Amino acid sequence: MGKKKKRASSKVWCYYCDREFDDEKILVQHQKAKHFKCHVCHKKLSTAGGMAIHVLQVHKENVTKVPNAKPGRESTDIEIYGMQGIPPDVLAAHYGEEEEEAPTKAAKVDVPAPQLVGGVVPGTLGVTYPPQPMAAMPPMYGSAVPVPPAAWPVPPRQPWFPPQPAVSVPPPPVGYAQPLFPVQNVRPPMPSTTSPLLQTSQVTPPGLVPPPPPAAVSQPLFPVVTNNLSQSSPYPAPLPSTTVLPSVPAEVRSGGAITNVATGYQTPNLPGMAPASSHSYASGPNTGGPSIGPPPVIANKAPTTQPAVNEVYLVWDDEAMSMEERRMSLPKYQVHDETSQMSSIDAAIDRRILESRLAGRMAF
Amino acid sequence: MATFGAAATATENPNKSVEVAQPPSDSVSSLSFSPKANFLIATSWDNQVRCWEITRSGASVASVPKASISHDQPVLCSAWKDDGTTVFSGGCDKQVKMWPLASGGQAATVAMHEAPVKEIAWIPAMNLLVSGSWDKTLKYWDLRQPNPVHSQPLTERCYAMTVQYPLMVIGTADRNLTVFNLQNPQTVFKTIQSPLKYQTRCVAAFPDQQGFLVGSIEGRVGVHHLDDSLQSKNFTFKCHREGNDVYSVNSLNFHPVHHTFATAGSDGGFNFWDKDSKQRLKAWSRCPQPIPCSTFNNDGSIYAYSVCYDWSKGAENHNPATAKTYIYLHLPQESEVKGKPRVGARK
Repeated sequence: MGKKKKRASSKVWCYYCDREFDDEKILVQHQKAKHFKCHVCHKKLSTAGGMAIHVLQVHKENVTKVPNAKPGRESTDIEIYGMQGIPPDVLAAHYGEEEEEAPTKAAKVDVPAPQLVGGVVPGTLGVTYPPQPMAAMPPMYGSAVPVPPAAWPVPPRQPWFPPQPAVSVPPPPVGYAQPLFPVQNVRPPMPSTTSPLLQTSQVTPPGLVPPPPPAAVSQPLFPVVTNNLSQSSPYPAPLPSTTVLPSVPAEVRSGGAITNVATGYQTPNLPGMAPASSHSYASGPNTGGPSIGPPPVIANKAPTTQPAVNEVYLVWDDEAMSMEERRMSLPKYQVHDETSQMSSIDAAIDRRILESRLAGRMAF
Repeated sequence: MATFGAAATATENPNKSVEVAQPPSDSVSSLSFSPKANFLIATSWDNQVRCWEITRSGASVASVPKASISHDQPVLCSAWKDDGTTVFSGGCDKQVKMWPLASGGQAATVAMHEAPVKEIAWIPAMNLLVSGSWDKTLKYWDLRQPNPVHSQPLTERCYAMTVQYPLMVIGTADRNLTVFNLQNPQTVFKTIQSPLKYQTRCVAAFPDQQGFLVGSIEGRVGVHHLDDSLQSKNFTFKCHREGNDVYSVNSLNFHPVHHTFATAGSDGGFNFWDKDSKQRLKAWSRCPQPIPCSTFNNDGSIYAYSVCYDWSKGAENHNPATAKTYIYLHLPQESEVKGKPRVGARK
């Protein structure tokens, strides 16, 4: 809570494009590169006015608009340098908005940023499906946890489909939904052509632990597409940590950013603080986060202000049951005897899983 | 700046929306507007399905309770038939009832499951009703027959559904998103794992059927395209978070005209977004209670949202004595729901 305030005052942002930065120096660099660069000779000037004068004097051209600026902020007359010179009304409006929903702001203003970020924090899944519980009730759980190969991160696009091998689906799943479909299909989106290729190459039967290629996992330099990566990496992560424990720490130490992978809950608490946070909203408590714990993480993230790791939590964090299902179990809503929300045996099993997981959580 | 932020704390209706008269006595589970007129349906945990007529004259909006039916147990979902004559509702009594509202007829059971029915949709092009249940099936119903035309097994309990013919996306408890091409409903078009790492809460198909949105309990929305060549356009973004609290995204609704969308969450807030320019168009003050469901009317001139307890903080945070349920109507300005081009965007 207090954090938000702090953030509002400590975060700097670019008047021209609303993008946020952690450091004013970086902001100035950004402005020079994006907004104050001469379009003819690419010389970087320090202010918009300076750039206009340079272009006029050197190249004999008129520049009236700041490049890459939002509408209404394109004037070269206002002298902006970093956070200096921003008109008070714009400043107030910016922070007013910020106040309402600080975390989203980043996404709104500059989506690529969160994406970048995403790549870093693949760990989250480790939280939801904490390795420990997994070990505790292996069969069920194992089946519920998708086991995409650790290798995906390589081609960024893939992670969208590999999930197929997930969950209760037996090994053949890969080719299976898709080949069927083309039969009648008329719609343009046709995954079947490309995906089999990709998939065959990358899918290992769920349950098997693919040798974790650390190199692949550590994609700290996320390209813009990484959004996808972030998606993929969580799986490889938790997996290795359960089964291939030894190898993990190595991985972890090898690449700074990946630490997350292993622990699942490092960065979590900085909604939009560090550009490195995006995915790790872990509900701290249910993280089994084994031995490979937070230390490395914290070291990594040190520059960001937040102290403890588990501050962020999901208000509803029951991954095994929806709010409605839980609500139904309230006696008030159970009109008839037999109407428990769990009608099938499967469901009862689910519930047991849940309970054991809760138990695990407590332990933490 | 603090003054604006603090505003949400005290008032019941911080956004000065229009309150719907005689709201349900327990939380609202779904809201649906008639595709033909401004009739609003709300299903509730008090077992009732209620209908209001919403009338507008200029800026003033009034709601008149019209009729209601009841289920034996809490109702979870609702849908209108495309001609606006009939309402379907499904819930914990494992049934779907058909309520011929226009003719004033009695409600009749038209579909049965083995567990509560979480989602339903009417598919005009097929003249069928589809129902998704926690019994891990989807069933398609020809309303004249007692048995389903087709029963489609799902990998897990159905948590969310969206239909934009011929695209249908089902979100299940295992975070799978099962995509169907309704021209061939018996075959799974493809199953993908949610781009989000936590429980799927809601899905919404793009109006152009090229993809869908998915919202999770982890205050995040994924924008996903079906076409593999568009995968690079996929992204996720955070929302409905406050400080260290990460709230569920409970509702995703596309604007029927501008194709921007609204999110609503357990934090009591709702926002309007434009996925194409990746911008938030408008954020509203948080209500003091969660928003479990919301919807646009047929022309997008009214955004209805319910403010009541959604169970996101469990039974221990539910006080039946003080819990109140509201349904609000917000009349969006065009600027709030119309996408703006993103200047300097790198496409």
